[in-house]
Amino acid sequence: MKGLTLRNLHKTYFDLNMGSRVTAVQDVSLHIREGEFVAVVGPSGCGKSTILNMVAGFLPATKGEVLVGDRPVKGPGPDRGVVFQNFALFPWKTVIDNVGFGLKMRGIPKPERDRIAREFLALAGLTNAADRYPNELSGGMQQRVGVVRALANEPDVLLMDEPFASVDAQTRMTLQEELTRIWQERRHTVLFITHDVGEAVFLADRVIVLSKGQVLREIDIPISRPRAWDTVSEQDDFKRLSSEVLQMVRSA
Amino acid sequence: MSDHVEPIAFIAGPKRVWLYVRQAAAFIAPLVLLLLAWPAIVTIFDVSPRVFPGVQAVLGAAADGLRDGTLLAHVATSLGRVALGTVLAVAAAVPLGVAMGVNSGVSALLTPLFRFFSVLAGIAWIPIATLWFGYGFGAITFVIFNAVFFIVAYNTLLGVSAIPPRLRHAAASLGAGRVAMLTEVLLPGALPNIVTGVRTGLGFAWRGLIAAEMIATDVGLGYMLFVARDFYRTEVIVLGMIIIGIIWLFIDRLLLAPLERATIERWGLVQRT
Ligand SMILES: Nc1ncnc2c1ncn2[C@@H]1O[C@H](COP(=O)(O)OP(=O)(O)OP(=O)(O)O)[C@@H](O)[C@H]1O
Ligand SMILES: [Mg+2]
Repeated sequence: MKGLTLRNLHKTYFDLNMGSRVTAVQDVSLHIREGEFVAVVGPSGCGKSTILNMVAGFLPATKGEVLVGDRPVKGPGPDRGVVFQNFALFPWKTVIDNVGFGLKMRGIPKPERDRIAREFLALAGLTNAADRYPNELSGGMQQRVGVVRALANEPDVLLMDEPFASVDAQTRMTLQEELTRIWQERRHTVLFITHDVGEAVFLADRVIVLSKGQVLREIDIPISRPRAWDTVSEQDDFKRLSSEVLQMVRSA
Repeated sequence: MSDHVEPIAFIAGPKRVWLYVRQAAAFIAPLVLLLLAWPAIVTIFDVSPRVFPGVQAVLGAAADGLRDGTLLAHVATSLGRVALGTVLAVAAAVPLGVAMGVNSGVSALLTPLFRFFSVLAGIAWIPIATLWFGYGFGAITFVIFNAVFFIVAYNTLLGVSAIPPRLRHAAASLGAGRVAMLTEVLLPGALPNIVTGVRTGLGFAWRGLIAAEMIATDVGLGYMLFVARDFYRTEVIVLGMIIIGIIWLFIDRLLLAPLERATIERWGLVQRT
């Protein structure tokens, strides 16, 4: 496990419609400690995905740099596991082969990676889905596979871009609880992107509010763990922090 | 060639078998009717064998051809030519299609050309093929190659460029290098399109082959038809036509269509947007 540092990140796009440059991310600096869970919230278009894509190495930064531990990011790599909003499972691979993909890339032989993959599948209650194809699973199950696939590769940092935005509300709450439980066991360094304020406060140790490509505020979330919706949603701390963050997002 | 058979794919169990039987029956029934009408019409209108043969004459021609081995030689030669041309074409087209699909600049440059040549598939190449290669093996292989090559390359390109970028991102962030990206993401992702391309291309190749064999060789089904014409052997011509049709139906229905359906259906690529 390692920490994650964003140092004076800038991103400008060339907007073909307007025929000019638009700044999507402006001088964002952020340090996520080893084993810390940080959520970034902000209104649509404020640059959340752009930041995550630069951290993942999918998108080059216009200026600034990203460090995993003290190593600068040059492109995508297995030190940063990514969970995508639309799951991005390989439709031609079974669930177990999806989960074992990162291990395969490391040259781990099939029996061994199946064993490891099964362990991780069990973690998310997916044991019975191992030999199915992604299109045979519900959205919620697909995203469990997406999370577990990233975890099984044992990344230093976990990057998640609105991973639960495309599942129904009930499933979303279950997935959020499962994520906090798994995170507590393994203590990954997490950068979690969402526009759902409740989700951010429920999951994170620290919430970053983003506005027009810049960090507006950072708020610590000292709610005790383990967290479950039944109890957390009743707590005054949770209510107070949520409304505080919500106000900031709305003013952003 | 693109008869709709998909719906069956989503139904399971005995019902599915029953549907297959019904579909097969619906396909065969008109052919059986034609087979029954044929001797009747020939008798009623007293058609001259020089114009159209009776059923028995055709069966006789089949028996003769089987006995002296010429029929088998024609069929084997034609199939061998198609197989060779197709294998060469696929081997060349898939890597090129992948390269084009990965590089948007190259793809923008070549796509219109490939669409153009896809339309020309097969027969239109025969005259120039015989000019370049003379009459024989080279010209025929060239015609088949072209019928398959452009369509498969174009379909591979489409398949690769339709792979959502996030799948490539996912693979890269799980540690896939260039080779793994090719074998684990690009090729499997494009496979349904490649199969579709091969199916379409083979259809053109088969027709192109028959036409090419009529002018550019001295053995093969097309040649068999063409020579029979010189001797007014309508029973051999019709026999050849029936065999050509049946062989294609077998290849397409029993080999290519199920393969195409299997890749598309199993992976649920319908929902991969
Ligand atoms: N490829 C691109 N070309 C031009 N402009 C872009 C491009 N990608 C993003 N942008 C612009 O950059 C800004 C930030 O986009 P980004 O996708 O990072 O926002 P976001 O916070 O993730 O929004 P959402 O909550 O809707 O996902 C937006 O104004 C967007 O229009
Ligand atoms: Mg986004």
